[in-house]
Amino acid sequence: MKKVLSMFLLILLVGVIAGCSDDSSTSDNGNNTDNNTNTEENNEEKDYSGEVLKVWSFTDELEDPITTFEERNGSTVELTIVPIADYPTKLRPALESGVGAPDVFTGEIAFLKEWTDRGYWENLSADPYNVDEWEDDYVPYVFDLGKDSEGNVRALSWQTTPGGIFYRRSIAEEVLGTDDPAEVGEMMSSWDKMFETGDKLKEAGYRLFPDEGAIRWFSKSEDPQPWVNEDNELVMTEAKLNYFDHAKTLREKDYTAFAPEWSPSWFAAMDGPVAYNGGWDEVDSEASKDNQTEVFSYALPTWGLHSVLKPNVEETNGDWAVTSGPAPYFWGGTWVGIYSGSENKDLAWEFVKMMTHDEEFLTDWALETGDVLSYLPVTDEIKGDFSEPFLDGQNNYEFFLEESKKIEPGIVTKYDQQIDTLLGSKVIDYVDGKVTKEEALEEFYKAVKNAYPEIKTP
Amino acid sequence: MKKLDYKGYYFIAPFFAIFLTFNLYPVLLTFYYTFTHYEGYGEPQFLGLDNYVRILTDSYFLEAFINTWQIWGLNFALQLGIALFLAALFSDLRINIKGLGFFRAIFYLPNLITISSVAILFNIMLDWHYGSVNQFLLKLGIISEPINWLNQPFTAQASVALILTWMWFGYTFIVLMAGVAGISKEYYEAALIDGANRWQTFIYITLPLLKPIMLYIMITSLIGGLQLFDLPMLLTDGLGSPDGSLNTMVLYLYNQAFRYGNYGYAATIAYMLFLITVIFSGITFKSMYREAKVTKKRGNK
Repeated sequence: MKKVLSMFLLILLVGVIAGCSDDSSTSDNGNNTDNNTNTEENNEEKDYSGEVLKVWSFTDELEDPITTFEERNGSTVELTIVPIADYPTKLRPALESGVGAPDVFTGEIAFLKEWTDRGYWENLSADPYNVDEWEDDYVPYVFDLGKDSEGNVRALSWQTTPGGIFYRRSIAEEVLGTDDPAEVGEMMSSWDKMFETGDKLKEAGYRLFPDEGAIRWFSKSEDPQPWVNEDNELVMTEAKLNYFDHAKTLREKDYTAFAPEWSPSWFAAMDGPVAYNGGWDEVDSEASKDNQTEVFSYALPTWGLHSVLKPNVEETNGDWAVTSGPAPYFWGGTWVGIYSGSENKDLAWEFVKMMTHDEEFLTDWALETGDVLSYLPVTDEIKGDFSEPFLDGQNNYEFFLEESKKIEPGIVTKYDQQIDTLLGSKVIDYVDGKVTKEEALEEFYKAVKNAYPEIKTP
Repeated sequence: MKKLDYKGYYFIAPFFAIFLTFNLYPVLLTFYYTFTHYEGYGEPQFLGLDNYVRILTDSYFLEAFINTWQIWGLNFALQLGIALFLAALFSDLRINIKGLGFFRAIFYLPNLITISSVAILFNIMLDWHYGSVNQFLLKLGIISEPINWLNQPFTAQASVALILTWMWFGYTFIVLMAGVAGISKEYYEAALIDGANRWQTFIYITLPLLKPIMLYIMITSLIGGLQLFDLPMLLTDGLGSPDGSLNTMVLYLYNQAFRYGNYGYAATIAYMLFLITVIFSGITFKSMYREAKVTKKRGNK
């Protein structure tokens, strides 16, 4: 009796423990037979039917490529989407322990540099991948970001995400006398010129930017240097110090519309006038009309067009154009690599290769989604054909490709995302008049020191 | 015969196995991490008491401690005040309000909404230009220009406190009503006959007899309040802006661990938080218990 009981409990316990560690061995084998026929069509592809590839990402943008991939070689791909806020936290234990880890996973710029040095991603510079040979095929800064500190490539990206300034054509025409991107770009090409433009807009009742944070990218890339150098010292460039003053100028001269990034008013200002009383028809009196204003431009990257502007704009559709600001910059981006502990590296490599180095797939992908690719052989082929109705027919593709080539490689550190955020919040404190510039700087250094005790601050 | 006694242990073994692996082990491991610099991977670096020295001199932690108390204090005062008022109203024999069940459900409703939805809802309502709160106040003429609620330390903290009050007063009300239901009707009838007015009935009958229930509410609310995290995290930038006024202790812990990767220091914050919770629960319990005793003595006399 006792033996039976203890056996039972033992089995129960083993079951509990096994249940914790294993979550995906039950994947279906039912697809084998269906997909065998597909692989016949494409002789180049090896037959992977029946094999399962586990992919983790933080967006759903991989869904379509995965369908293509499955059709090509008959494998089954399990895509797990983890929201970006939880992504590093969820992935870390899996990657550290190897239990339930994916074969392929993507990384966002915010944690990319931390991960390349952790050895989570397979070294793609080594055999049998040898991606170093491909270096010239990619936008330099994109390829460079996927490297670890020893220069080995750990992850690749199919896209490039340079930024520009999206502006309203009708306002440009009215106030600046032209809506031509090149001419407007010239008027924004330095800080002085930008403020001059802001002044003209102000006088005509418009605002240059929605908020002061819009200029942070230009301040960051004006004098491209990493936030933290080899000696673990915080590098505070003159350009970054000037960010405080430029932001203050914007606020004091009234060039912004008090619509902080991602706030409801920020989105609303894309589609027409905003005001303190905006959106409430009943209070549309003379007095409130004086308070109304329209925002001229937004600093946004490639994805800003498709994921930010387009979904939030109705009235001003077609009234936009994109041009460059005082300095080239990039914002965001997704990289993909093979998990170093994967047991399915061949198939994983096939997937990464398709995503980043397959002309046929990438051409289809770019034409379908408008995503600006980092793979130059394809972009050179297709860049001339783009004409974006939202931008009144402007070829944004060519514009962004040119911008991306101007971006300095090798200045991103693993601290960037957090230090940028800290700097931004201190700048806003200064702009709001809560602290002096010296106090804001001091608080910034203190906050950096608190977050990363190992960094030496001035 | 004696052998049979062991059988019971097999039945409780799973609990202990799970408790030891998932409760005790992490708690002890966390305690170990408080003495180290640990980035979440690799080998923890032993530091000795450095983390404790740091936390005692850390102005951010002190700020978080004060903020947490301010937000919780305002929230608790309002929440208990409203709940007590409602409890007095609903227990009043003279008014005798109908539909207690209905109101109970209505008051409790805000508590059913996920906190992230609440945060998004209030983020929109409190928006500077477009928020309905400002629009409403402007139209009524109470304010002449919109208030940037989430951009000033006091209004930001008050907003969080009010949202929490809105979410939790229903729960407190239900618990208080359960306490009121436990008070014998005879006391109230006697008071009515003796000519006690509402205020006197409330002060001398309802309140003293509700003390154990209020103690329970206070301690659970305190423990919950010291762990305040989600609203401050979601309402502003997650760093505690404006001016660090929404930087609560758990938000600070979260940022140290998951934003900056200082797991060792975050573990230290967790242990400090535990210590603070124990101390203040103890103080609350002691003071409430002593007062209850005193009242009882007076009653006997």
